[in-house]
Amino acid sequence: MLRQPLTRALTLSSPVRAAPLAARTYAGPPPPPEKFEVFIDDKPVMVVPGTTILQAAAQVGVEIPRFCYHERLAVAGNCRMCLVEVEKSPKPAAACAMPIMKGMRVKTNSDLTRKAREGVMEFLLVNHPLDCPICDQGGECDLQDQSMAFGSDRSRFTDIHFSGKRAVEDKDVGPLIKTIMTRCIHCTRCIRFASEVAGVDDFGTTGRGTDMQVGTYVEKMFLSELSGNIIDLCPVGALTSKPYSFAARPWETRRIDSVDVLDPLGSNIVVATRTNEVLRILPRTNEEINEEWLSDKSRFACDGLKRQRLVTPMMKDSAGNLAPVDWEDAMVAAARAIKDCPPNKLLAVAGDLADAESLVALKDLVNRLGSENTCTEQYFPLDGAGIDFRSSYLFNTKIANIEEADYILLIGANTRFEAPLLNARIRKAFVHKETDIAFIGPKVDLTYDYTHVGDSASVVKDLATGSSTHEVLKRLESARHPVVILGADQLKTPEGAAILAYTQELALRLQDKLEDKNWKVLNVLQRTASQAAALDIGYQPGVGKALQDGPQVVYLLGADSGVVSRDQLPKDAVVIYQGHHGDVGAGMADIVLPGAAYTEKRATYVNAEGRAQQTLVAVSPPGRAREDWKIIRALSEVVGERLPYDSLDEVRDRLAEVSPALVAYGDVQDNNYFAQARALSQSLQKPVSGKVDVQLKQLEDYFMTDTISRASPTMAKCVQAVLKQKQSQY
Amino acid sequence: MSFLALDKWARLFRIIKQNGGIFKTTYKLWRFDTLKEGTFVGSDMFGNKYYENNFYFFGRNRWVEYHPRFAWEYDATHVTADWYGWLHNKTDNRPCEDCAKYYMNCNEYVNNWLMPFSENLTGTEKAYYPWSTVNHHICVWDGCAMCNRQPKK
Amino acid sequence: MSLAKIFSVSSRVRASGASSLVVRHAQYSTPAQEGKTEKVYPPTAPGFKYVNAEDPNMTMKALTDRAAQTLFWTELARGFAVTLAHIFKEPATINYPFEKGPLSPRFRGEHALRRYPSGEERCIACKLCEAICPAQAITIEAEERKDGSRRTTRYDIDMTKCIYCGFCQEACPVDAIVEGPNFEFSTETHEELLYNKEKLLSNGDKWESEIASNIRADHLYR
Repeated sequence: MLRQPLTRALTLSSPVRAAPLAARTYAGPPPPPEKFEVFIDDKPVMVVPGTTILQAAAQVGVEIPRFCYHERLAVAGNCRMCLVEVEKSPKPAAACAMPIMKGMRVKTNSDLTRKAREGVMEFLLVNHPLDCPICDQGGECDLQDQSMAFGSDRSRFTDIHFSGKRAVEDKDVGPLIKTIMTRCIHCTRCIRFASEVAGVDDFGTTGRGTDMQVGTYVEKMFLSELSGNIIDLCPVGALTSKPYSFAARPWETRRIDSVDVLDPLGSNIVVATRTNEVLRILPRTNEEINEEWLSDKSRFACDGLKRQRLVTPMMKDSAGNLAPVDWEDAMVAAARAIKDCPPNKLLAVAGDLADAESLVALKDLVNRLGSENTCTEQYFPLDGAGIDFRSSYLFNTKIANIEEADYILLIGANTRFEAPLLNARIRKAFVHKETDIAFIGPKVDLTYDYTHVGDSASVVKDLATGSSTHEVLKRLESARHPVVILGADQLKTPEGAAILAYTQELALRLQDKLEDKNWKVLNVLQRTASQAAALDIGYQPGVGKALQDGPQVVYLLGADSGVVSRDQLPKDAVVIYQGHHGDVGAGMADIVLPGAAYTEKRATYVNAEGRAQQTLVAVSPPGRAREDWKIIRALSEVVGERLPYDSLDEVRDRLAEVSPALVAYGDVQDNNYFAQARALSQSLQKPVSGKVDVQLKQLEDYFMTDTISRASPTMAKCVQAVLKQKQSQY
Repeated sequence: MSFLALDKWARLFRIIKQNGGIFKTTYKLWRFDTLKEGTFVGSDMFGNKYYENNFYFFGRNRWVEYHPRFAWEYDATHVTADWYGWLHNKTDNRPCEDCAKYYMNCNEYVNNWLMPFSENLTGTEKAYYPWSTVNHHICVWDGCAMCNRQPKK
Repeated sequence: MSLAKIFSVSSRVRASGASSLVVRHAQYSTPAQEGKTEKVYPPTAPGFKYVNAEDPNMTMKALTDRAAQTLFWTELARGFAVTLAHIFKEPATINYPFEKGPLSPRFRGEHALRRYPSGEERCIACKLCEAICPAQAITIEAEERKDGSRRTTRYDIDMTKCIYCGFCQEACPVDAIVEGPNFEFSTETHEELLYNKEKLLSNGDKWESEIASNIRADHLYR
């Protein structure tokens, strides 16, 4: 099966890439090949066959300059910057593509090598404009750095005929990426990323020699949810970020490590700030989660942090309009409402972006007041095992292990839009490891080929009971590392409990048969960053039951997805909204308490795998907004039920009491108790007849899913651009 | 002549004559604290007159006589940019002889944006006070339920 | 000339003053004039020059001379004579603000942001001046202008932080930020010295003729 692009298939494979092809025989991994010795700058290094010179040099810490080579992309070998002298070779060799051979002696600092680099650099600069002062890449530009380090110290470029340098028309590839194609050095990283990782084969080259252009052939938008990564990949300033354009220089920004909360994966990010303003968000390498990629929403929705913000407490005045008030007044009013409310009529609802600290504080407060009504917006069936076992609601396989999978069944989970980087992993497995994927649900574009099993819920039942005649069942049963991923959307439906029970049944049946006893098959892919932590802490999923009781006071902790609305509540109900954006929740609130967004607080988030990670304070909360757990702590004092923690560390101690996993930052625990969950939900395996549907079907659905991305002008532009692209004939 | 310091008396009479009589000379002495003779080189947009006499040592050889309307309110910053370089001995060219100024004034667009010279306005009502040239970064929610989702152009 | 010479205070008189600094100065600058040999310390095995105040000469002649100077107020008379002499001399000072001292075309005074002859502002918000400013006096914020060009929205210079080193104009690739010839921009309040972009541009618009001729005067050396 030729899934890799032709360029990829024709170029030499690195050992890492070569291995999976050999591993396709189901006989276990091949024995590690024997190492041999080579010499890089006379330093001996032991390498496995198939290693390229560049990789061998990296092993001994010799950095060879490169533009086109990228360790996560196929080898192209077209920039020639990595030319090195190989002893007894008449010509310098391209280190990125040259497999190293036994006893080879490579000189990376010889006169020939340096002359070759200077020559390549000179050629690159002949047609590269000297517009560094207005180029956004300035300061983080590979071409700048390498021309300083490896280029010649003088120029021979004299345009005596004033014929000008090569000029290329800019391409319009959407509202996220700005192209200045004159700066392009044709490294083709963007092309390779688009076809290999993003799975959208839109980019390519036209023309040859000086006329060569990188582009989309016809003018069209780069319709990918991972498009922002080509900005990071571009070694020059040809592809830059449009929302960030001209905003700042890399040397003047402060970079704070943080965690993304706009999708359930908790991708690691770096928040670049200056003058207390979030300027851009970049991915931070974490092999366990996001490698070095980042999805567009996580990357570009950061301008939503500056729009529609709640900066001051507000209360409804006599005319029914929200008016700014002092913290004291808002607190007293909120406390009075809570105190006047009978305990069973008090309801707390946690939203998509709530952090673990505020979740535990709110739950403690509500429990102290005698109420058990703490809910999350996302539903999860409580029948059977419910949320008693962590394994029932987490992504047990773990994101990185997806690469090991050889058969993946997606049940109503459009991973491409619900968790784009998980989808990128699946695609990586699909491309490099020949993993096959089956999908139950409506036909969607997952960027890779999959076996569509249908969109009827009964398919799940048939697979679970083993009565299906579909080839997918056979493939699943014969797979060494099967993975079943259930989308959290399915659990909302009336048949959610049954679908979950069947999925558990199917996964456990497969898991029992595996040779690899540590392999986890069952996965539930949550939709939001807060759900895993909320369920860990003991929130009740879904608000349906609590709303039927007619609560008098509803405390919304960033609950904006609209599951609680005014007409479901009694007329005299008081709604207290605590959050950072003015959206659905604040719109229906009587009292608004401004909280901090994820870039403004040090807070714990648990991702879909159950991995606790923390965000750090990148900027201070705007205006009079405060960190969320502190607001609840302050409110508890006014209410008269003082919470017993005064500092973040004490809150985290409390979190550790609830579950040690919540403060084991970066770690993820292996989940067990699958069998118990299965046993408890056996009774729920009722016949199902509905359809399996996913909420996010198209790219335009992806961009605006939460308060931050809904407030983001860039995301709005994306939606419009995608819709416009859909109208286009291309 | 010089033995009896008669040349100095002669210079005094020349100065009085050049400055337009005994009273005007006294007035100028009162205003400028000094009396000098020199050749008139030019005048600027404020009407200040520029004189030169290389008899005086370098540094005193060029001077400006502020326009009478400034009276005792004359200020060093009444010297316009055009004459600034000449007065500071930066150039020997008068503004009309300066190549750079000539080329600049040849460009028809320049007059669209060149601003008339103004004195240092500190302490007056027209004094410059700083203001922020950027908009607020944070856009505050206006209290309407659904946010405006149209992208801001 | 001669009068001044006669009545001028001799270095010996100053040498008897309290300041050892003056003594040292006098000894080093005019040892031959004084007809004195250099004193060394320690006197027996010379290792260092002796620069401290010396003990007064206690011979009878020297004693009576000093007493006569004090009794007859000769120092006072000499002092008045110096004053009198200078009344007739040409003053060595210049009569600012009518006469002004010489300046170089490279003089680094008040900052200005320049424009192209078309009126387009030169600054492209490359932020090199901000990066190089050793006093961190420059603050720049930039964004894309409506026409897609790279421009600043904020260009603030804190003139009270600025050390007038001129690195900003050296760093500027488009000659936008320059230190103009003006040094007469003192203000009554601190606040007025916090220049923003508009102020700097208006400086440029006012001083362009002088800035242009300075740049032209210096163009051969750049």
